[in-house]
Amino acid sequence: MDTTRRGFLGAIGQVSIGAAASVAGADPAAAETGAPHWGMVVDLRKCIGCQACTVACIMENAVPEDAFRTHVSVYELVAEGQDPAMVMLPRLCNHCDDPPCVPVCPVGATFKAESGEVLVDASRCVGCAYCVQACPYDARFINHDTQTADKCTFCFHRTQAGLLPACVETCVGGARNFGDLNDPECEVARMLREHQVSVLRPEMHTNPNVYYIGLDEVLDGRVAGEAAYRPPFDAAPARHGEGL
Amino acid sequence: MQVHELVGAVHEAAWLPWAVQYFFLIAVSATALLTALPGFLSARPGGIRAARLALMAAVTTGVAAPIALLADLHQPGRFWEFFVYTNPTSWMAWGAWIVPSYVALVLAFAWAVHRPGFHAAGARDWRFAPLYRLLALGGPGNGFAPWLGLAAGAAAAGVLAYTGMEVMVVRARPLWNTPLLPLQFAATGAVGALGLMLVLERVLCRDGGLEAQLNRRLALALAIVGALGTLWLAAGLSGLSPRHAEALASVAGFPVWQRIALWAAAAILLPFLLALAMPRRTGWITGLTAIHAAWMFRWSVFMGGQAVPKVGSGLYDALVPAGAAELAGVIGTFGLWLFLAIAYTSFIPWSDAARPAAPVRRAARPV
Ligand code: SF4
Ligand code: SF4
Repeated sequence: MDTTRRGFLGAIGQVSIGAAASVAGADPAAAETGAPHWGMVVDLRKCIGCQACTVACIMENAVPEDAFRTHVSVYELVAEGQDPAMVMLPRLCNHCDDPPCVPVCPVGATFKAESGEVLVDASRCVGCAYCVQACPYDARFINHDTQTADKCTFCFHRTQAGLLPACVETCVGGARNFGDLNDPECEVARMLREHQVSVLRPEMHTNPNVYYIGLDEVLDGRVAGEAAYRPPFDAAPARHGEGL
Repeated sequence: MQVHELVGAVHEAAWLPWAVQYFFLIAVSATALLTALPGFLSARPGGIRAARLALMAAVTTGVAAPIALLADLHQPGRFWEFFVYTNPTSWMAWGAWIVPSYVALVLAFAWAVHRPGFHAAGARDWRFAPLYRLLALGGPGNGFAPWLGLAAGAAAAGVLAYTGMEVMVVRARPLWNTPLLPLQFAATGAVGALGLMLVLERVLCRDGGLEAQLNRRLALALAIVGALGTLWLAAGLSGLSPRHAEALASVAGFPVWQRIALWAAAAILLPFLLALAMPRRTGWITGLTAIHAAWMFRWSVFMGGQAVPKVGSGLYDALVPAGAAELAGVIGTFGLWLFLAIAYTSFIPWSDAARPAAPVRRAARPV
């Protein structure tokens, strides 16, 4: 399956002609091997840091004001004797193949779907936030509207309907590419073959399904250096008013 | 290469100060119970007065702790799911079974130890006699108490093991992911328990001998905490243990953490020296400082640990309580404990608690 925006939709279109009920994963290769294995390749050379993906995700998924399922970190790198460089780093859940967030869940509310997404059953989640602690990427948070764990789902509801995730759909620079890693014909699989890619925090052995092209290794872990300006403590929004 | 983060997300602490309160209270309870057992179960005289205070500390903190835990859940009404959907790979899931068992066994043990007292109070002619008769469940016998005590002791060990492991297994937080952490939780828990017992002693007994005895035990517990802390630092500085080195590196270099380290060292050293040099007449100060040290250790580990970004730069604000709601959680839990302590000392004949009587054996019948 093709996974550039146009290609992905094109493929869906072709499938849809033959089978009206087909969804995104219903390409021939996936049909043979069963479910697709969704993944994302972020080409950092194309990201312009416009945060369109951040906003699209918030709108699509009703992400509350004080949290993000995805956002683009922006860094200024100053190498010795060189001009400062502005570097963008879109961050989201990596839908790890060995996700440390899953085994810690005391009630089994978070799980890995057949097609690779790591999801939360919000009707079961007790909001203990153990998974929030266990994720090495700060990709989870407690949603204070639902009081349950929340995170990127790779827009499960959209891929089920044959659509791309909202962030990919909206990506202005074409930096975010999404598709079935099991399908050798798929654009993301081709990108993985043709480019040197990296993942975030490889030392955690989580086997992420979000890959980056052009990631500077000073940014692949906890980024040392000066933090961005944060509003002073008393101007921060109140956390939430829970009580006994 | 210099790096400046220009745009980054702030992640709020997902475990709130309620969690600090829970881990503090449950560790104090479990270690206090383990401190109480020898006094009640061994034939050695002299330990019973300290054991009474230890049991009081174990019961009151043991009852308050799960309430703080429940308050830390964002969906407290779903707590029953812990028992229906237990996920065996999660230490928290095991904890959900261990904690209620522990609390039930501590309460049962305390009831058994005080049963003769309840029975005696029920036999007197006064207003509350019927209530105590009910509490005594029809008799003074408590020969079975040692078994309950041993079971509660095993559950206390389970509590210490699970609380330590639950936090230690979180690889994503280097400050938590150190093999020494469970031992540090247990040792600082004992410091908190002995501190609480010293304060209770000052309020309820005012017995210089008991104060000195508790102060000496406190000095020993503080020495263990100090030794573990030194080992932690040495393992980190020398690089012998990569996990400790990573933990140290995650916070070293931040002035706030240097101040925390100095503060913690002082909170251990000061009561240690006082308890050794002047075991009498220092109970208030050593006791309160010890409670403070045990509590602050957890605050630094939990709130401080969550202030360390996993991928972003700098530190988040979690180290400082974010407003009245969080402070109310801390104060409210201590208020609840105070209420339980007053109830315990008012309604339980705690000062009569003695070593459980051996079961009455039937005299052998002549053949
Ligand atoms: S990135 Fe975090 S939340 Fe997502 S699967 Fe991996 S460990 Fe879980
Ligand atoms: S917050 Fe919800 S999904 Fe996360 S570990 Fe707790 S119960 Fe599981």
